Amino acid sequence: MQFKELDPILHSQLRLAVISLLISVKEAEFTFLKEKTNATSGNLSVQISKLKEAGYIDIIKKFNNNYPQTICKITPTGIEAFENYVKALQTYMNL
Amino acid sequence: MANIEHKMTEKESLELITSMINQAKEKVNESGTLYLLWGWLILFCCIVQFVGVEFFNDSNVYLVWLLTWVVLIVQVFYLWRKRKRIRVKTYMREVNAYVWVVFFISLMLLFFIESRFNAYKVFNPLLLMMYGMPTFLSGIILKFKPLVIGGICCWILSIIAVFTPIDYQVLLVGLSIISGWIIPGYILRSTSKATIPKSIRDEKLFV
Repeated sequence: MQFKELDPILHSQLRLAVISLLISVKEAEFTFLKEKTNATSGNLSVQISKLKEAGYIDIIKKFNNNYPQTICKITPTGIEAFENYVKALQTYMNL
Repeated sequence: MANIEHKMTEKESLELITSMINQAKEKVNESGTLYLLWGWLILFCCIVQFVGVEFFNDSNVYLVWLLTWVVLIVQVFYLWRKRKRIRVKTYMREVNAYVWVVFFISLMLLFFIESRFNAYKVFNPLLLMMYGMPTFLSGIILKFKPLVIGGICCWILSIIAVFTPIDYQVLLVGLSIISGWIIPGYILRSTSKATIPKSIRDEKLFV
């Protein structure tokens, strides 16, 4: 019950991991996120699509010397959602 | 996909956030190559200039500085080719890169202003002051003390240069390069070799 107010988009292991990584950097490539989270490509693509649908991240797809690149970047909405999520966690833990 | 995920407790959430932020946190992982390349190049130019002017009284030796343009062009070309290997952009690296861009632009302006007013007497002290700036700032940004100390050395040498005969000032420029770029470059190199695998070192080489 106490999880009711926690943002369901963020309260998922992989999505939270991705957002936590993106909050610390300007932008990161898909392969970087994959390596740091130890996720499979399929799972990671599904989760970053969900974050994009929620407007929390931007996904830029481009080609660099015939080499496909997917770049992810957190949006202001994403930053706000992350801050609210951390605040909610802190209240639950009475920090 | 969601079925493999279990419900996290608050504690697990916080632990995950902390661990990911730590993963993304940047350590001093520059390989020092650019400091060493430019350090040795400029030191070489300083020595050639000093020997040429002092012992051979030959003003053509100033042409040795054209080498810096050659290296700059090669470096820009190399960076352009390597850019796809950078998988993550951090604010720290970006700010650090801009520090050096600002340095380069200011240096060009200094050359221009100096030649316009023929202010060759103040050139070396100002140059030393300028070397100190990006060196000190990079040291602060990368949390790497040798660069901070190197930057301070450049500024001290700038004061000494004011009281030094002009022909010998180039030796102070050489000293500033040793303390500001060459020594920190070797320290960066040895720490990065000890802690970072080669593939990552190459990737992080260029900001």
